[in-house]
Amino acid sequence: MNKLVYWYHKLGSPPTFYRFAGVLRPWCLAIALILAVIGLYGGLYLAPADYQQGDAYRIIFIHVPSAWMSLFIYGVMAVAALVAVVWRMKMAEVIAMQSAPIGAAFTFITLCTGSLWGKPMWGTWWTWDARLTSELVLLFIYLGIIGLFHAFEDRRHGARAACFLILVGVVNLPIVHYSVVWWNTLHQGTTVRIFGKSNITTSMLWPLLVMMFSTKFYYAASLFGRARADLLDLESGKAWVKQIASDEEARS
Amino acid sequence: MSGARVSSACAAVLRRDLLLAWRRRGDMALPVLYALIVATLFPFALGPEAQLLARIAGGVVLVTVLLAMLLAFDGLFRPDLEDGSLEQLMLAPQPLPLLLAMKIAAHWLTTALPLMVIAPLMAGMYHLPWPAMKVLLLALLIATPLLSLLGAVLVALTAGTRRSGMLLALMLLPLCVPVVIFAAGAVTAAQQGLPWVAPIAWLGAALALALVLAPLACAAALRIALDA
Amino acid sequence: MTDTSAALLEARGLTFLRRDEPVFGPVDFALRAGEVALIEGDNGSGKTTLMRVLTGLLHADEGSLLLYGEPLSVERASGELAFLGHQLGLKLELSPLENLRVAAGLFGQRKGVSPASALASVGLAGYEHEPVRRLSAGQKKRAALARLLLIPAALWLLDEPYANLDREGIALVNRQVERHAHEGGAVLVTSHGAVTFLNGAYRRIALAS
Repeated sequence: MNKLVYWYHKLGSPPTFYRFAGVLRPWCLAIALILAVIGLYGGLYLAPADYQQGDAYRIIFIHVPSAWMSLFIYGVMAVAALVAVVWRMKMAEVIAMQSAPIGAAFTFITLCTGSLWGKPMWGTWWTWDARLTSELVLLFIYLGIIGLFHAFEDRRHGARAACFLILVGVVNLPIVHYSVVWWNTLHQGTTVRIFGKSNITTSMLWPLLVMMFSTKFYYAASLFGRARADLLDLESGKAWVKQIASDEEARS
Repeated sequence: MSGARVSSACAAVLRRDLLLAWRRRGDMALPVLYALIVATLFPFALGPEAQLLARIAGGVVLVTVLLAMLLAFDGLFRPDLEDGSLEQLMLAPQPLPLLLAMKIAAHWLTTALPLMVIAPLMAGMYHLPWPAMKVLLLALLIATPLLSLLGAVLVALTAGTRRSGMLLALMLLPLCVPVVIFAAGAVTAAQQGLPWVAPIAWLGAALALALVLAPLACAAALRIALDA
Repeated sequence: MTDTSAALLEARGLTFLRRDEPVFGPVDFALRAGEVALIEGDNGSGKTTLMRVLTGLLHADEGSLLLYGEPLSVERASGELAFLGHQLGLKLELSPLENLRVAAGLFGQRKGVSPASALASVGLAGYEHEPVRRLSAGQKKRAALARLLLIPAALWLLDEPYANLDREGIALVNRQVERHAHEGGAVLVTSHGAVTFLNGAYRRIALAS
């Protein structure tokens, strides 16, 4: 427990986080790329074609990990936002705010691939399916958070307001999901189930899981890069940033 | 020296906001006019067929009322912020959530209530039958205060920003999706002769929850928004 | 009960940062009941920011702020202090009397003072029912000053109270401040230093930019 508190404070300090993230970032990126190659090879080449959907189903190796990430990143943001609002911790604000565009990007990818998948499956680019609709609302939540963050003159001020909005979204998101499910059954009956009762074969499952880990590492690498750049900007007046700047100058 | 009681503070805020709205009663007509204009445009776009209009009536009236309310949200805190009244409100030795609840109540009375008055008129233009009309009014009676409360939290968050109507719309959309679904769902059910109590009950539950939580969230949001 | 031996308001190493650059500070002072202090500083030295920190609306980044020896928060401070800022907190559509009634409803009122008598003592008798929008800038300021007389607060925070006031208005502010201090209150006044209108014994707190 003491160790946990120690690391919490250690990583909460911008210079330590900057160095820590700088060391981890290339590793995360490399692992993400290797896993992506393995996962896509397994998914697009090794896994057999579906007896109903043919090769069209293979988009799930992008679509499903992205959909998981869109929610996972929101979860990370929610925890960071809680820390930021309660303890006014600068590092948590940075994590939450720099995660938002990545989460929005994954949500956007989910919507695009879902739409692409919908064409051969349902014969239409867009259907008001409960999951797709919830995902669309999630995209609007992400965009609202990013928009609010940038609407303030002062960055930390904007970050605190946007963190509050993240917490409002945590309450709202399940309500939206269940109301959309209710609305959907009222209007058009259940649409095609994406998965039956785990009727997915192992040869399809393992590439999916590999892709899931790949996207997680990609997120970490991307977040570390964004957070580092943001910290340099945010702390530009501090001694440790000036030290880095003079070191860079000496090297070039 | 004598401090002020909470009840007299609440009454003072409510009276002040209603008085202000009355002094500028011309402004109160604007959202109503806007709603009427939007509601008039739909039949021109979709054709005057009575059956079609009756089918979309509930949804159109709901969304129109929602948009008109969105238009009026900017007036909830911004004037008070600009003339310093909001600071005085926050420095008053009273529970801020209660004072804000009074402001929200006054705002609902002056913007949403006039919209509710013309809602039957709009629904009539769309040939909505009387039994469904009753359900529509009931749904509006619950949905509009709910929207006022939810919107107030977001308006408070944007209080420290430059003018931001579009941003508010973007932030409000995810919050009002469930409200629109249940309110319109009740009207649709009533039109089809199905039981409509369940969605109304859900709305009522949400309103009860929002009545307690939204003023608290609004106060917290306002403190964050002004802390710079 | 509040500890009367402790200073009414005390700041220790108070610093406010914007983008990690100090806006003001560190500021140290202790203000006791019956004292008047003048906060001096040039434009941009952070006087207004300091005032907002002292109300509890803004959080200081470093240092501590004590009210009667206890940490100040906006909940704790409310009711103890009256704040007059650049924005006067008056509704233009309402009359001075209606504005003061709202203030009395929110803050309560001093014994023996009514909204009408407070207006009369700032020289606004006869303007009670005129909408604030029709008053001159100086008259608006006087209406805001009347609020200070009306509400029962021990600590007055006056941000540039002399702006827009004529000679007589300045004398009025000084009389009010002295009387408030004499009755056991404390007053903090900001001024940009060029001209100081306060007379008598008062402390100076300088803000370096």
